[in-house]
Amino acid sequence: MIGLLKSMATTMKHALDGDTFTVEYPEDTPEVSPRFRGVHKFSQERCIWCRQCENVCPNDTIQIVTDDKRNGEQYNLHIGQCIYCRLCEEVCPVDAILLTQNFEFTGDTKDDLAYNMEQLKNVPWYKDIDPLASREPDRGGWINEGEGEVDYQ
Amino acid sequence: MASTLPDTISSLFGLGGLVGDVVGSLVGAVLVGSLMLTMTALAGPWAKRKITAAFTDRIAVNRVGPFGLLIIVADAVRLLSKELIVPEDVDRPAWDLAPFVLASSALLGFAVIPMGNGIQLADPEVGLAYVFAVASIASVGLVMAGYASNNKFSLLGGLRAVAQNLAYEIPLVITAASVVIFAGTLQMSGIVEAQTAALGFGLKSWYAFVNPFAFLLFLVANLAEVGRNPFDTPEAPTEIVAGYQTEYSSVYFVLMYLGEFLHIFLGGAIIATVFLGGPTSPFVGVEILPGFLWFVVKIWAVFLFTQWMRSAIPRVRIDQLIEIGWKGMLVLSFANLVLTAVIVGVIA
Amino acid sequence: MSLEDPSRPELDIGETAEGVDYDALEALLGDHVVGRERHRNAEAFVVRPDEVQDALFLLRDEAGFDHCSCVTAQEYEDRYESIYHLRKYDDPTQEVGVVVPTATDDPVSESAEPVYRTADWHEREAYDLVGVDYDDHPQMERILLPETWQGHPLSLDYDQEQPQVVTFSEHANPLNEDQRAEADSDTMFVNIGPHHPATHGVLHLKTTLDGEQVADVESDIGYLHRCEEQICQNGTYRHQIMPYPDRWDYISAGILNEWAYARAAEDMADIDVPEYAQVIRTMSAELCRIASHMLALGTFALDVYGDFTAIFMYATRDREVVQNILEDLTGQRLMFNYLRLGGVAWDLPEPREEFFESIHDFLEDLPEKLEEYHDLVTSNEIFQMRCVDTGVLEPEIAKSYGATGPVARGSGIDYDLRRDDPYGYYDELDWDVITEEGCDNYARVLVRLQEVEESAKIIEQCVDLLAEWPEEDRTIQSNVPRTLKPDPDTEIYRSVEGAKGELGIYMRSDGTEKPARFKIRSPCFSNLQTLPEMSQGEYIPDLIASLGSLDIVLGEVDR
Repeated sequence: MIGLLKSMATTMKHALDGDTFTVEYPEDTPEVSPRFRGVHKFSQERCIWCRQCENVCPNDTIQIVTDDKRNGEQYNLHIGQCIYCRLCEEVCPVDAILLTQNFEFTGDTKDDLAYNMEQLKNVPWYKDIDPLASREPDRGGWINEGEGEVDYQ
Repeated sequence: MASTLPDTISSLFGLGGLVGDVVGSLVGAVLVGSLMLTMTALAGPWAKRKITAAFTDRIAVNRVGPFGLLIIVADAVRLLSKELIVPEDVDRPAWDLAPFVLASSALLGFAVIPMGNGIQLADPEVGLAYVFAVASIASVGLVMAGYASNNKFSLLGGLRAVAQNLAYEIPLVITAASVVIFAGTLQMSGIVEAQTAALGFGLKSWYAFVNPFAFLLFLVANLAEVGRNPFDTPEAPTEIVAGYQTEYSSVYFVLMYLGEFLHIFLGGAIIATVFLGGPTSPFVGVEILPGFLWFVVKIWAVFLFTQWMRSAIPRVRIDQLIEIGWKGMLVLSFANLVLTAVIVGVIA
Repeated sequence: MSLEDPSRPELDIGETAEGVDYDALEALLGDHVVGRERHRNAEAFVVRPDEVQDALFLLRDEAGFDHCSCVTAQEYEDRYESIYHLRKYDDPTQEVGVVVPTATDDPVSESAEPVYRTADWHEREAYDLVGVDYDDHPQMERILLPETWQGHPLSLDYDQEQPQVVTFSEHANPLNEDQRAEADSDTMFVNIGPHHPATHGVLHLKTTLDGEQVADVESDIGYLHRCEEQICQNGTYRHQIMPYPDRWDYISAGILNEWAYARAAEDMADIDVPEYAQVIRTMSAELCRIASHMLALGTFALDVYGDFTAIFMYATRDREVVQNILEDLTGQRLMFNYLRLGGVAWDLPEPREEFFESIHDFLEDLPEKLEEYHDLVTSNEIFQMRCVDTGVLEPEIAKSYGATGPVARGSGIDYDLRRDDPYGYYDELDWDVITEEGCDNYARVLVRLQEVEESAKIIEQCVDLLAEWPEEDRTIQSNVPRTLKPDPDTEIYRSVEGAKGELGIYMRSDGTEKPARFKIRSPCFSNLQTLPEMSQGEYIPDLIASLGSLDIVLGEVDR
């Protein structure tokens, strides 16, 4: 009987303290950690069309089309098929593909989620944050740092 | 003794005789019925969510209208516009009747409840017996629903419901009988009247104060009677899906749901009348609120209690439930009855 | 296990103070042995397909190998092969393999089910996916794929493009005939699931009821089968396999699963892991364990309490804190993909103090929260009434079904790979293995709640270590070649203590950058097998509660 009363007291305590942990989402956007992996953003200027991302992708999500001189023509990424493992970002030697923190995207059909190069370039930053800086510490093992600003258009 | 609501209405319209009786009864019944349905509508889609949310540290409905109140409208539209799915091989008309039996048996019970300010449809001398009689018609509805659905989970739920109602109806009635010994009457208004006497400390002699043990017994038995935690075995969502109401959808589901909440409120109304002094304040000579509001506060308190139990108490197993009912509650309620009878006999 | 250990006064045959003496085992098996193989984890004896039971009985009864951890089947160019990975509950570092080759044209081998009950499902899976047939097996049917499936997906000649033709008669409503039992039947057949509020995913329990009591229950699994083994066989060791373990036990136990693969692959390719990375792994894995146990508690409360209880919400809320920490560390809340071969993907997030602070805050609040759970759950009399002495799983039965993890520890089996087969940084830290003797649902809940405390201890020590780690020594990854090609025909079976028990990986390399065979030993798969033992003769509510106390994740059962 004491245990029952204890249980009831516990829930009543929670009811009376008025604390809630609901996030009222659209009005109250969650703080996303800098490392959070959301939709990809692509930089055509930086891309050297080395196809490493295409090769490493475990899910065949990335499709790259080049002409016979290895100039890039298309860069397609099916964000509905992606498993957000970040391996493409990890292997990219020039930071041309980056997973933004943006998790807000929709599509009416599966086809809407197949992004082409232009769409990938126009993916907005989440809360205008470029997460590259906070991700850099681990990249030394993979690439050498380039000079200058990173330009994502 | 105040006259009943139909009498008041017929005299208000200046009608007499048979016409007056009919008009008065009809209008009165509509009034009381809509009152209870309004409360149910408030409780089902809105209050229940808000209360559960408070216990679980959430906010719950807050998008539709102020405090999310318009969710009631939204839910009503949603539920009523859904397709009424009639499964193959259901046993009609039992299957169709069950929701009506459930909802109406609860509504019938409110006929004799004195709600204060003269709101009482009838005040027969066997009031208490009548309430228990109509409330237990619900068991028939549950069996009908469970058996006629042609679904094994429904059948299990129906069987459980009957076993449970049988096991807890008896302690419930016997505990109420101990109150009758005190009050010396089965008439609802008489029971309320008997609780207005002073007990001491400025309190009235509510039977909850006079005999807290009986009150506790009744409260627990009532939980089982209305099928709430820890005794919600007939529905037991994680065990037998939704029990007897598994196959009901749309309007029938609304009726089922309505019936359940009406039963909770009817249970609350019985507790309020029999143990909590009906539509009166607990203090002698201090009537802060009008009687009707006292009544509403009391039944909502009982509703809150059921929701509180739901948040914190696990469901007992069906065999344990039957065991508690027959070996525990029944014995305790008889002991209580005998003890009360002896005490009342000695004092008198 | 040392000689002084009072619980085991004498050594088993083939057991020495250093480990296993395989020559003695070979002598024990005598003529049954037709060859010997050397796997990375242990040596294996090749046994004729018609002498499997004899050999296994000897190994179990005489040599003390009481735990059939896993059964792997695979097809070579010239033969089929079943491997029984045996180890001991007392000392899981003592391992031995039993390799049973069968001919390609007639792959029939003797079933191990009479020796180890757990082999029942494992062999059915081997039949289903690879196509080895087992003689003397009580129910040689498909287990993961539908009965109508044509071909065995992991066999060499399986055609991926082949349409799965299912005839109309197979498509007929299966309920039509058995909807009504024979007229004088006392029992009722109920399908609990695949769509049922309490099956924790898409599990189908074919239940026969006698009134309210369970006369018989049979689990039908495979609704969530994705052939993760094949997915892994199509991925490269270095990168492409690691994201998938997160998706086996997807209830936030990701890093624990990743570690299973990392451990197997690192041992296979002789990759060292920097100590700093091991500490980070240990810490993040234990965070995952807390998250996983919290959810286990919450959903168990759902099963026992009813639809929306406070406990589930409180557990979710507390788990959320862990997930926030893990998100800061790994970048995801569930599908972490954080471990890499030879280390981890990321160092701790900057600023480190803030990160440590968030973990400290969580650990500080934890005792109070656990106290609340004890108030709410374990001390509640009705909860005790429901859970004590229901779903009883005797230790001997648990062992024969290969139960591990909290399920085994709730039956008093003192078995935890973190301590018994140490990896990571666990052996350097101070913590205890929790066991409860109750063998019932209540004991399993207690074990989980106490394991959360132990995990908190581990995390605290890891955080202290990490905070004081010298800055120049923070190597998170060792130097691992970009393409990993282990030597051909290297075979390894390695397991870690996942959230639900022993999560093992068997891999065989063929000299390419992808594994030739990738087998997952899922703890839930073995644990779920104990359900009929636990629930026969009990009531439906106890069946549901037992199922909840097993804490299965269908993603891991079906893979």
